[in-house]
Amino acid sequence: MSAATTNPVNQVRSTIYQLLSSLFAKEVDHKTLHELTCTQAQEFWSQLANEPDFKADVDVLVAELAKLNSDKALLELAADYCGLFLVGTKHSASPYASLYLNKSSSDKAATKGNEPLLFGQQHQQMTQFLKQSQLQVQSEFPEPADHLAVILAYVAHISMHSSHQEQLLFIRDYLANWLPKLVAKVAKVDTGKFYIALAQLTLAWVESDIEWLASES
Amino acid sequence: MKRRDFLKGLVGTSYVVLSGSSVLAPLNALAASAAKTNEGWLTTGSHFGAFKMKRKNGVIDQVIPFERDKYPTDMINGVKGLVYNPSRVRYPMVRLDFLLKGHKSDTTQRGDFRFVRVTWDKALSLFKDSLDEVQTKYGPSGLHAGQTGWRATGQLHSSTSHMQRAVGMHGNFVKKVGDYSTGAGQTILPYILGSTEVYAQGTSWPLILEHSKTIILWSNDPYKNLQVGWNAETHESYAYLAQLKEKVAKGEIRVISIDPVVTKTQQYLGCEQLYVNPQTDVALMLGIAHEMVAKNLHYTQFIEGYSLGFDKFLPYLQGETDGVEKTPEWAAEITGVSAEIIRDLAKVMTKGRTQMLMGWCIQRQQHGEQPYWMAAVLATMTGQIGLPGGGISYGHHYSSIGVPSSGAAAPGAFPRNLDEDQKPLFDNNDFKGTSSTIPVARWIDAILEPGKTIDSNGSKVTFPDIKMMVFSGNNPWNHHQDRNRMKQAFQKLECVVTIDMNWTATCRFSDIVLPACTTFERNDIDVYGSYANRGVLAMQKMVEPLFDSLSDFEIFTRFARLMGKEKEYTRGMTERDWLNKLYTDCKNANAGKFEMPEFDEFWKEGYVHFGEGKPWTRHAAFREDPEINPLGTPSGLIEIYSRKIAQYQYDDCPGHPTWMEKSERSHGGPGSDKFPVWMQSCHPDKRLHSQMCESEEFRGTYTVKDREPVYLNPEDAKARGINAGDVVRVFNGRGQLLAGAVVSDNFPKGVIRIHEGAWYGPVGEDGSKEGGAEIGALCSYGDPNTLTQDIGTSKLAQACSAYTCLVEFEKYKGKVPAVSSFSGPVEITL
Repeated sequence: MSAATTNPVNQVRSTIYQLLSSLFAKEVDHKTLHELTCTQAQEFWSQLANEPDFKADVDVLVAELAKLNSDKALLELAADYCGLFLVGTKHSASPYASLYLNKSSSDKAATKGNEPLLFGQQHQQMTQFLKQSQLQVQSEFPEPADHLAVILAYVAHISMHSSHQEQLLFIRDYLANWLPKLVAKVAKVDTGKFYIALAQLTLAWVESDIEWLASES
Repeated sequence: MKRRDFLKGLVGTSYVVLSGSSVLAPLNALAASAAKTNEGWLTTGSHFGAFKMKRKNGVIDQVIPFERDKYPTDMINGVKGLVYNPSRVRYPMVRLDFLLKGHKSDTTQRGDFRFVRVTWDKALSLFKDSLDEVQTKYGPSGLHAGQTGWRATGQLHSSTSHMQRAVGMHGNFVKKVGDYSTGAGQTILPYILGSTEVYAQGTSWPLILEHSKTIILWSNDPYKNLQVGWNAETHESYAYLAQLKEKVAKGEIRVISIDPVVTKTQQYLGCEQLYVNPQTDVALMLGIAHEMVAKNLHYTQFIEGYSLGFDKFLPYLQGETDGVEKTPEWAAEITGVSAEIIRDLAKVMTKGRTQMLMGWCIQRQQHGEQPYWMAAVLATMTGQIGLPGGGISYGHHYSSIGVPSSGAAAPGAFPRNLDEDQKPLFDNNDFKGTSSTIPVARWIDAILEPGKTIDSNGSKVTFPDIKMMVFSGNNPWNHHQDRNRMKQAFQKLECVVTIDMNWTATCRFSDIVLPACTTFERNDIDVYGSYANRGVLAMQKMVEPLFDSLSDFEIFTRFARLMGKEKEYTRGMTERDWLNKLYTDCKNANAGKFEMPEFDEFWKEGYVHFGEGKPWTRHAAFREDPEINPLGTPSGLIEIYSRKIAQYQYDDCPGHPTWMEKSERSHGGPGSDKFPVWMQSCHPDKRLHSQMCESEEFRGTYTVKDREPVYLNPEDAKARGINAGDVVRVFNGRGQLLAGAVVSDNFPKGVIRIHEGAWYGPVGEDGSKEGGAEIGALCSYGDPNTLTQDIGTSKLAQACSAYTCLVEFEKYKGKVPAVSSFSGPVEITL
């Protein structure tokens, strides 16, 4: 455990998971925008863009962030966020694992109205994981525990506290198994560019991290 | 670059760490263990029934019927789907263009919308700013906060009370009179029988079962409609329907269902059906009355002693005033019922004890006042009003009417109005010469034609110039007629505020949307057994309000705080204080008559039972002595002819019941050459109006290809190449919808049924694109009010006329769009 905590690579990974979690947890406001565009952040983005799998999406994110130079632009991005993550299901990309994992693959069954509910099995499962790690969802974040932001934050936590093998299993079984579906949905319904790029970057990051963890463990 | 190298390369570079807390926090062990307690059964109730719930790990797990509900409906299976619905309104939201431009926003975007999340403080201050602007610029006539509906059950958190008290503390506003369910009936019947009748307690079922020889269900489907009630329903009427079924089987009571379709009740009872052409019931009744007079079957002694104006009605019946004698042959031509059967009915109704049980559907049509009036005349002619098992009822299909009432006092409610000494912030009562109260179904007329004066129930109504609407626990984008007309009207509004728990179509067409929690996320109190007042139910909170939703009490307490009126609003009492007060007031009112424990004991127990009631006969006191116990009519008698109505000189509601042709009518009537099919949009079998339509799994038990079912006659379907399970386009000059075909012999040729309450899901005119704010949009799910006609019943009631509606239908050949009703906002490109 202590080895993992002090491992600088794990610290980097944890920070990136935490950043992604924060961006899915709420809209970009003035303060966040400043933190995402300051000199220090620009260095980080260019480092991240060194990896060819990330470059295209990082470039879009940086370009989109540069355009957020007015209140209206921020509100438009907030409206994108709202339409994607805060309402509905079929025309949005609700960020809950349960909506992707429970959905029947056959269209016929889907027409029977077996749309999964919120606060279902995946929420219960995540709540248990959090509890085992002496954690819970922050009360100011009144969302089910299978929200993408919660799962990413949990990976940020275990990156520092669990073995590579444990991390790998968790990411494979509880994140990578539904993330591609969510990302495809974002790509389909987002009218802007920011969240498509963010979602794709997240997927690329998770895939590369799985690869790295597999090679390490 | 190798992954390892890449990651190492990141070590030591700058990180982006966003300020603000993580979505995770250290486990609060105390709270976690507290949440584990109280995992036993909790009691609560709803329109669908009273029930008990059990939680597991803080989430509602099991739902079972309340022990005193012996006939629970399967709708309680949909309750979890309401609470954990993906289309919950999760946060306060504001339409983006409204946030940017306020009252000058582009209202053509309303319905297409882009929303942004805001804090409660921001949302409530925008709400208040809008009210300030409307009261300052236009005065109270600019604000309509009186469109109210079925809300959720509970006497403390009733959404209507909270919204109207809080908005009323800000300023005055336009209100409604009447309702969509019984608008024509509740307006005409006080002139005829002295009360609304539709919402009055009726003769007790045990007396009907004992004395009636014949029961006529006239356009009435109690077996379907008694599933839901205004309060926590416990379904006692079903025990009596079961006894009736036995008596029908034994031949002890003859039940005749007069209806164009085979109803659920008819199928359950195994009783007779008398088919009648849609919208022609008055002609049938006149034919029966004519036969009664011709054969001298009517009870002249009763008519003379208890009613007024038969002499003025008779010349019309016999054709002296209009040259048309209302003979059974005349009626047969219009109604499709043979003269022989009409003659037989006149005999049957007058020869033995006959109880007429009227449904509400036939008054939701043009001239909807007439069938109710004429039915009262028929009941008078039988001479049986006021006798057990005889006469007429207008409510036995509603909220346990007919179940003997306990006689106990029910708990009161959180006040809807301001307290006596309270004044609104904008203390202005100047409606600028326009009306402060308008007929409920005429608000779209008002928005479209402000300043216009119409006749209404003996007076004139001048439409106020409405600029802002506030809705709470109410979904007019379900219950109002003609969606395209509504869109035109909504584009004229400067601001629309909706408070609800799930994304209804009304939320979709709003500027500010506020999330209320469901009934099951708050503590409340209610009577159970509806009209039977069988007991008081503790509605115990199952889970904390989900997401950022709040109880109605909390929402408007915060709103009142913004106005500096929090203490005035709450009277300085908390939710718990109010529950205690409502209960204790009820206990005091019942003192000496009904034993009730102290509040804490009641809350622990979950309910107090008042016991059985005594059977009672409607109008018996009047029959006993009409001078001592007169009716509430001008003469105190049954008014077959109303001098008051005659004085209004309305061409569409003369002084006695009259057959009048409709603006559109099937089976050879006007307009049937173009759109030949009558669409009935009756109350649903599996919902309460639009409530519970969003509950996905439960909806899946009845949808066809994910759509609302459209019930079709087999020959009609075959003629159009439609098979069961096909997607059907139903259309007329007013709109179009998609629905899923159910082919059934229960429906005659030229008649289709789509239950009202099907959530509106517009998808753009050709069905191919998202959106739907535009005029002519196709409803992807099957909301029948896409097709209905937005006209008043008459100058008297000005009520909704949804049943005067012709359509055509065809097999849908286009690309079937996904249903867009249950998804919350839809993204569009600006």
